[in-house]
Amino acid sequence: MAASATPLPEGQGLPEVQRPNIPSAAVRFPAIRTYDQVDREIAATLGPSLGWFGALGTAILCMLIGATAWTYQIHEGLGAAGYQPPVMWGVYIVTFVFWIGIGHAGTLISAILYLFRAGFRTSIYRASEAMTVFAVMTAGLFPILHLGRPWKFFWLIPYPNWRLVWPNPKSPLVWDVFAILTYLTISSTFLYIGLIPDIAILRDREKNPIRKAILSTLSLGWRNSDREWRHFTRAYLFLAAFATPLVLSVHSVVSFDFAMALVPGWHATIFPPYFVAGAIFSGLGMVFTIAIPLRKAFKLEHYITLNDLDAAAKLCLFTSSVVGLAYLTEFQVAWMSGNRYEQDYFWNRVFGQWAWAAWIMLICNMVLPLSLWSQKLRRNPSWLFILSLFINLGMWFERFVIVVPSLSHEFEPWQWGTYRPTWVDYSILLGSFGWFFMWFLLFVRQLPVMAMAEIKEVILPPMKTRYDFSHDLTQGAIDPDETGVAH
Amino acid sequence: MQGVLGAFREVDSAVDAIEDLKKERFGDITVFTPTPRHEFEHVLAHGPSKVRIFTLIFGLAGVTFGYWIAVWISDYWPIVVGGKAIAAWVPFTIFGFEVMVLIGGLATVFAMFAFSGIPRLTMTVGYDARFSGSQFGVWVVTDPDRADDAMTVLRKHGAEEVRRER
Amino acid sequence: MSQDTKKTGVKRREFLKVLGATSAAVAAAGCSEDTGKLIPYLVSPDQTVPGVSSYYATTCRECSAACGLIAETRDGRAIKLEGNPDHPLNRGALCARGQSALQGLYNPDRFRSPMLNDGGTWKPITWDDAIVRLSQGMTQARGGSRAGGGVFINQHESGSFPRLLDGWLAAFGMPPHLSVDFEADAAAIEANRRTYGVAWPALSFTDAKLIISFGADFLDSWGASVPQQLDFADARAKLDGAPRFIYIGPRRSLTGLNADEWIACKPGSELSIANALAGKGSLQQAATDSGVDLAALQSLANELAAAKPALVLSGVTGENALDVALAVAAINQASGAVGVTIKPAQPLTAFEGMANTGQLLGAVERMRGGQVGIAFVRGVNPAYHLPKAANFAEAFLKVPFRVSFSSFPDETTELCNLVIPDLHPLESWGDAEPVRGTIALQQPVMDPVFRTNSKTIPVALGTADVLIQVAKKDAAVAAKYPAADYRSTLIAAFPGGAQALGAALPKGLAAGTRPPRTLAGAPAAAPRAMSIDGAQGDFFLITFPSPLLGDGRGANKPWLQELPDPVTKICWSSWVEIHPETAQRLGIDRGDILEVKTTNGTVRAPAFPYLGVHKDAIAIPLGQGHRAANAIPTFNPMTHTAGEIQWGYGRYARNLGINAFDLLPVGTHAAGGFIWTATKATVTKTGDHETLPSTEGSARQHGRGIAQAINSADLNKPAGGESGEPKEALPGDASHEFLPGLRSPVAADAQGELGAPTAADQGKNKGMYRDDDIRGMAKRRWAMTVDLARCTGCSACITACNAENNVPTVGAFWQNATIFADQKPGLNIARGREMSWIRLERYFEGNPDGKFGQDFETRFVPMLCQHCGNAPCEPVCPVYATYHAPDGLNVQVYNRCVGTRYCSNNCPYKVRYFNWFGYGESDRKQYAFPEPLNWQLNPDVTVRGKGVMEKCSFCVQRIREAENRATLEHRELQPDEFTVACAQGCPSRAITFGDAADPNWTVAQLAHDKRAYHVFEELNTYTAVVYLKKVNHPAAGATAPRA
Repeated sequence: MAASATPLPEGQGLPEVQRPNIPSAAVRFPAIRTYDQVDREIAATLGPSLGWFGALGTAILCMLIGATAWTYQIHEGLGAAGYQPPVMWGVYIVTFVFWIGIGHAGTLISAILYLFRAGFRTSIYRASEAMTVFAVMTAGLFPILHLGRPWKFFWLIPYPNWRLVWPNPKSPLVWDVFAILTYLTISSTFLYIGLIPDIAILRDREKNPIRKAILSTLSLGWRNSDREWRHFTRAYLFLAAFATPLVLSVHSVVSFDFAMALVPGWHATIFPPYFVAGAIFSGLGMVFTIAIPLRKAFKLEHYITLNDLDAAAKLCLFTSSVVGLAYLTEFQVAWMSGNRYEQDYFWNRVFGQWAWAAWIMLICNMVLPLSLWSQKLRRNPSWLFILSLFINLGMWFERFVIVVPSLSHEFEPWQWGTYRPTWVDYSILLGSFGWFFMWFLLFVRQLPVMAMAEIKEVILPPMKTRYDFSHDLTQGAIDPDETGVAH
Repeated sequence: MQGVLGAFREVDSAVDAIEDLKKERFGDITVFTPTPRHEFEHVLAHGPSKVRIFTLIFGLAGVTFGYWIAVWISDYWPIVVGGKAIAAWVPFTIFGFEVMVLIGGLATVFAMFAFSGIPRLTMTVGYDARFSGSQFGVWVVTDPDRADDAMTVLRKHGAEEVRRER
Repeated sequence: MSQDTKKTGVKRREFLKVLGATSAAVAAAGCSEDTGKLIPYLVSPDQTVPGVSSYYATTCRECSAACGLIAETRDGRAIKLEGNPDHPLNRGALCARGQSALQGLYNPDRFRSPMLNDGGTWKPITWDDAIVRLSQGMTQARGGSRAGGGVFINQHESGSFPRLLDGWLAAFGMPPHLSVDFEADAAAIEANRRTYGVAWPALSFTDAKLIISFGADFLDSWGASVPQQLDFADARAKLDGAPRFIYIGPRRSLTGLNADEWIACKPGSELSIANALAGKGSLQQAATDSGVDLAALQSLANELAAAKPALVLSGVTGENALDVALAVAAINQASGAVGVTIKPAQPLTAFEGMANTGQLLGAVERMRGGQVGIAFVRGVNPAYHLPKAANFAEAFLKVPFRVSFSSFPDETTELCNLVIPDLHPLESWGDAEPVRGTIALQQPVMDPVFRTNSKTIPVALGTADVLIQVAKKDAAVAAKYPAADYRSTLIAAFPGGAQALGAALPKGLAAGTRPPRTLAGAPAAAPRAMSIDGAQGDFFLITFPSPLLGDGRGANKPWLQELPDPVTKICWSSWVEIHPETAQRLGIDRGDILEVKTTNGTVRAPAFPYLGVHKDAIAIPLGQGHRAANAIPTFNPMTHTAGEIQWGYGRYARNLGINAFDLLPVGTHAAGGFIWTATKATVTKTGDHETLPSTEGSARQHGRGIAQAINSADLNKPAGGESGEPKEALPGDASHEFLPGLRSPVAADAQGELGAPTAADQGKNKGMYRDDDIRGMAKRRWAMTVDLARCTGCSACITACNAENNVPTVGAFWQNATIFADQKPGLNIARGREMSWIRLERYFEGNPDGKFGQDFETRFVPMLCQHCGNAPCEPVCPVYATYHAPDGLNVQVYNRCVGTRYCSNNCPYKVRYFNWFGYGESDRKQYAFPEPLNWQLNPDVTVRGKGVMEKCSFCVQRIREAENRATLEHRELQPDEFTVACAQGCPSRAITFGDAADPNWTVAQLAHDKRAYHVFEELNTYTAVVYLKKVNHPAAGATAPRA
């Protein structure tokens, strides 16, 4: 196992069957020997540090800049932003879709990979689930923020009201409301449920009475009894089973905002799969951006092993190819459609006024990830980190290319236009990152960034006899029917 | 309620202890384990969780409500938009699905809470902090006169600590 | 209001109008500034019902022509101007400038009271004071060395006032006044006078077989544009019987763009072409002079010879203008036009008695010579209109006492000692003689906007009344003026007196004539002709009055500033037109700032590459460049007080663009007219660049069939492939059997679930439009047809819409002011944030980059909300803010809108407009209706708030008003009983509105015209706006250019 430099525990020789780059179902964390070690090392990540305060301060500052800009925009009117009709949607919707996309990796990793029994999820899923919740919280702001009359946003929410008119259920924007609110609820529930046993652990380790009281409340009096575990694992399984199609549906619905419109460049049937793939791709990008510094800062390299990064990188490569295929398909469809509006638009996209944006998108999302075919680079955290930054950039521009050029080059030539954001747009974009990282930083220092209970499940249990690996490798540990919790 | 609590360092010794306890006809055995292990499931041999039923029922309720609310909204004040039918059920599938996930998911969680008896206000007897850490606990509910037998069984299998609780 | 309404329903009210107008106390409390906004009336005058409009007939004074107006007033405030259907000239139509008179009336920069220039500082004085000072001034001017040396420069008008003025001047021993109209074509008038004995014979385009115009822009500002446009449109509406129209001149103006053929000749060479056509010169010579190839001239000559009668017009503005005009007159006589297409028997008397620039310059010389003791200006602005070279200011300041009767602070007024603001024509009495034998009456439609600061003079005085008051103060003169005021003078002069006048006022017209005012030969300065070819420079400099701002008098009206120029689509700015090829040669891009230099001056303005200008010429419009001595760099409406004078012709005109007069030498041609095209200029490219505030996206259709045309020859071929539409029609273009398609089936049908929809299917599958459908969608279908064969692109419909629907103007430089945003005029327009609900798209066809000679075609398309049957904007709105009304309207509910702007994204026609700022909130910089402009707002229409979407409503308020009136009168709506604002104002009658579900409405018949088509039909939107293809008349053998 190149994944770890530390030697194996004595008395527990490796099973014979070992292939390179494939984490063994039995010994996934060779450097982690005892349950106590898990508790000790992960609990050590809690509690503030100087660098953390610095980061948090920066995040809050950015958020305040965004908040100021928004206040000003509300007072002055949307004209303060850079909208230039016919480009009626701009940076805000772009950023909205961007964050929603980010918000997809978490549930993907914790739910879909869980159903697929993908081992590498164990160490990263907690962090990415938190990322999901905060990303959706960020994204949720933008539909409100881009309204002409944001103080009326609640008119989109269906509830019995004196206006006697309910929202229009035929409008994709109302579908958004349902999809996003559901997604936010379910993913945060998912996050919390997974946290309960770990909070119980912290509770039992905690000396400070106040913190202990808080943790006890949060842990809902969890006792690790077999009964609790039985229902817990079952419920977790079903939640995963719900969350999986939910992930797919949410970004499909978001893509309907565009696909349901007539606009050339939006009106395409491949949008749902294309958006979902893009979302997962961007989400994985953000996971790298977050997890790689995290494992370094918290000295958890032997938890998030190179094998895990490697596997995630493969998934990243896969989604990147799906997205790339979608790009090319769009051009091919336009070319073969014989529809002049489509053709004009796509020509304008790559060779016209928006070429620069389109090429940023194509290079960052299609070309650069090809480097992941090389195992050396897949196992090189620094490269993965750099690449992930490019992916984030590229995916933001993918949404930009979808939203802005389409609107600026529609049916009516007389109304062809352009678009240039103002400082307000940029400040609010910055603010969204501030808002997101503020929450994330608060999270990582208060709650375990890794699922301690699950890691304990993966590592070798304390036994008085030698652990029977054959049990794992044949049917045992990786058999979905017998285990509730994944590996 | 009173009984005997034994704390073990190793999984297999806890398992062996439980097997013996069962042989000794100790019925009500609870295992505290830092992480779910199949060994305990096998030895305790409880039936599958009932959570699934709630998931199913409320999922179905959700999908029904989802469709219904969308149709009701449309008919409540029928407004023609885009020459489309007033109650266009095809797009309403989205509401059906989303509400199904929402209600079904939440129902699952609450069912889980209900079955495993949380939230629990007080730690009841028979729990020890170390069980969330690195040790496995076996809690046997028994009347005082048989308590000693249980304790011997637990000790025999190398329980690090055995104590009587009430 | 349509003609019918006036004939049927309104009689009762019209009687009230008379009372209303003639009783001095009309709407006494109605219009003073200090009245609460919500309740205009404390005590309502008997004859006005709050919330119900009264209509007053009066006369338009925006240009010399004197069209008839119907002013709609609500609670004592004029809110809309429309053409008087009975008026012989404009027959119910009204141009953009005429409709904008309201913004002159309510202009926020109007003087509130008389002003006195007290050693450089201006201070308000009372009316009494002002009159005293004026009479003292008169007394002084009468005696002394400069005795009898008075100059009164008045904006040209016909009717009684000029004679009253002359009499008054005479009484004080002064020469008659100079009646000036800078836009009038002196050469044409002189030629007409010599040839036909009248200043302006009636022109008939309908009777012509061929129309040739030598730079006569009869659709812009040459002559009386509205009647000319009406008649031209009628001529074009004869489709295959319509006359071909050939435009000869160096620049293709709006009129030129309506021509079937453009012969781009060198400036100044029109004469040799005209002579050749008149047979006084050889075509070969003409070809060499004009740089036009011989073949074109030859075919022109042949065509002219064949077509009798033709109508040939001259509007040349060069030094040889008179000769051209005379040559043209000869051509007309030769082709038997006189009496048929040119009718000297029915002259437009409005152009009689006009003084020319030569005489004005003569007066300037007299001022400079110190012979003038007192000078008056009224309604004219010579300090702006006369080139710098004329040194008007310097001469004017030599006059000891200078009085201005201008209502607005302008360049000339700034030079005066005393300002006695005139009343706006809509506030004052008067009359005019538009055509011989008809008197057009002018009556106040409301009380003066501003209350006076004087007890003895409760109501502000018009100039005429001021003159009378002054006369009464002078013992020697008083006797001549028995009447109390001008009104009673008019009544006295009117045959039949008050009774007859009262009877005539409702129609605003009376038979009769005013004795023509003799041009008591004001000595003219000697004509200073110069040969343009002699002048130095690379390019001929063409200057022309803007069709909207005119010679600059419209520049202080936001409607006109915001209205895109019909040709270039630029607003709130000046520009330099240059041919694309030339531009390419010089490396000039659209928006590059050019430095244009002549021997007389230099200006800097952005370039606009334009196919329609001669390769060796550049063109600059007049009308902008109003500046004041004390130029205020920025204007902050939040800190502005009403008393503060905005010199430079008001806040909306100051510091915009450049004044092309600065470039021109002082030259008058043989007829005494000013020479516009007088010099050459050098053009140098400066480094600077600016985004032109233009509403133009792409000037080409890219074959998308938005503006479709058909050759007259193809009109009678069967519809379909040969119907003249582009062969490369869009794939999926629905077949025309689908027409009218006004009834939309449900979406499933539209998307072809029942196979390709056919007429039969239309009958069967109407979905919710079934007659028995509970939603009642089938009962009515409000719809509109736009006849592109009639539309000239004049843009009057836009102003009509702005006035009717309270559409804000957004281009003033302070309206885009946000933190870190530069305050730039028209920045909101450059950002595509214009608000006008209807826009005129101007598409060029053929001749992609000017490589292929001068041959290109222009198509104008009024584009407004199409009120689709399957409206894409409706289903995407999350809050039902836009939905489909049972009568087919696509309704926008402002209060319901949260501003997601999804509807606009999904609108293929891009006709939805968003309130980016609080244009309707008086406490904001962006406020579009500063007091008292907000008095004009139509009470029937909401002023939209910040952050909501708005769009054309098919004037739903007019629809409901008509329906309610019908209900009250217990009857059904009559076909064509009413119409919408744009259709009502349209001076070419291109727009028809009505109920397409009822075959008795005109629109229902027009919708089935063989030229009818829907824009983007292949999108299955089932639009309610049906366009009728433009009809091209290519020269025999040639085919019209096509994209």
